[in-house]
Amino acid sequence: MATQASRAAGRLMLSPAVVLLLLWMIVPLGMTIYFSFLRYNLLIPGGETFAGFENYSYFFTDPNFWPALTNTLLLVGGVLLITTVGGILLALLLDQPMWGQGIVRILVIAPFFVMPTVSALVWKNMFMNPVNGLFGWLANVFGVPPFDFLSQAPLFSIILIVAWQWLPFATLILLTALQSLDSEQIEAAEMDGAGPFSRFFYIMLPHLARAATVVILIQTIFLLSVFAEILVTTNGGPGNASTNLTYLVYSQSLLQYDVGLGSAGGIVAVILANIVAIFLMRMIGKNLET
Amino acid sequence: MARATTPQRKAVVTVIAWLIALIIFFPILWTILTSFKSEADAIAIPPKFFNFDWTLVNYETVQSRSNYFRHFWNSVVISLGSTLLALIIAIPAAWSMAFVPGRWTKDILMWMLSTKMLPAVGVLIPIYLLFRDWGLLDTRMGLIIVLTMINLPIVIWMLFTYFKEIPGEILEASRMDGASLGKEIIYVLTPMAVPGIASTLLLNIILAWNEAFWTLNLTAANSAPLSAFIASYSSPEGLFYAKLSAASTMAIAPILILGWFSQKQLVRGLTFGAVK
Repeated sequence: MATQASRAAGRLMLSPAVVLLLLWMIVPLGMTIYFSFLRYNLLIPGGETFAGFENYSYFFTDPNFWPALTNTLLLVGGVLLITTVGGILLALLLDQPMWGQGIVRILVIAPFFVMPTVSALVWKNMFMNPVNGLFGWLANVFGVPPFDFLSQAPLFSIILIVAWQWLPFATLILLTALQSLDSEQIEAAEMDGAGPFSRFFYIMLPHLARAATVVILIQTIFLLSVFAEILVTTNGGPGNASTNLTYLVYSQSLLQYDVGLGSAGGIVAVILANIVAIFLMRMIGKNLET
Repeated sequence: MARATTPQRKAVVTVIAWLIALIIFFPILWTILTSFKSEADAIAIPPKFFNFDWTLVNYETVQSRSNYFRHFWNSVVISLGSTLLALIIAIPAAWSMAFVPGRWTKDILMWMLSTKMLPAVGVLIPIYLLFRDWGLLDTRMGLIIVLTMINLPIVIWMLFTYFKEIPGEILEASRMDGASLGKEIIYVLTPMAVPGIASTLLLNIILAWNEAFWTLNLTAANSAPLSAFIASYSSPEGLFYAKLSAASTMAIAPILILGWFSQKQLVRGLTFGAVK
């Protein structure tokens, strides 16, 4: 169907998107790489000098760097673990016949539509606050001392908040996948004497693998750059206990005005994301063959 | 996957599912309830669930204290603006990739998706400095541009998967029947493409409305949409639970309603055609 003319038209239609995305990628990224080799502080205009790898060595020896890297991976890993396992369990539950299934589904997916700043504020103040929060009240009811979530276990608390936001997404996608499972296959397995556990591990889990890939892929992209939840709840603290790479770079560049150091950090974040991306793209390459 | 079940089993499942669903939904419910309380009732111990005097005063205060609707309007303009702009760029691109595929189409598509993996923080400083020099800092236009670009890869990918499902034979058949190109577009293509465009539109509005990294870093008082404005409630001295709840309820309500009504289309779009 593709004639010479339609091919030219196709290229013409495609080019704005390609050119814009290319510009969006190359211009800022090139500038970040360039800045990362400069001694460049926003408060000293015109004072930029070439610095070589100085910014990188500062960034890597910054006492906040390794904690930030660990926190980033813990945050991504923790949320992925909770949402994937929780999502599979919830999907299995919601797939059962019950009364009011539609409403249950609506309630479960709601957190996905709440903006991060709102959910962070609500959790921080109305639940995790040891004095006025509901968890503090619950602790008192049960006669245990209230737990100050955000100062005693800041990263864990942020993982909880972010997991609450993403659990619906995982559930929704896994549930959709589960509903497409052929019920005859299950019934046949049942007749052959397969118990609920072997049905789950040999039939349902393999069937869910594709959907789980999508969940992990999309969530990782978003979770690597969690920002608002940290800014609103802990400001990365106490100390650096809840600082991830995104937040570290933000604080170096826009709070301390050190463009050079911040840029070096940004490039490190890009490289880390690319390492993760290579694995992910392999996964979608395999699983999303269109 | 509905199978035969006993009433007892169904009752047990119903109770467990409702319990879990209510726990998951509770923070939202609590926010909505608190928004109708007086500040005293909002921090009362033991907490008041329904036994308080309902009031709308928080909604009034939120607007009169901070010009809330300005930020609401910013959110509307920015999320709709960036969504429409993204669609204008993406529809022809996805269309040509789906119907006039070339040797590189698949690679271009993968490359586009990979730009989504570029962490925002890696390009934050240049965008910030360029916008400062161009006078785009703290403007709605600046945010529209950024949000368009960050969502463009997903929009193109989603539209591509939808367009690809439109079978080429239908077009050829209608052409054989003597339909003109105009008729073909209006009567054959559009009806098949519109559902895909609609769900892409919905998802993009939701993503843009809730986006927080760029809105927090590129805007200040003037053009801040709700996702950034709400963060100003985090300062300890300014914290009033009932007012925070009123502001939050208004910020999440439109998207919550939009999301609930369109969940089926959203799942289809989000899974990139990977889950049937």
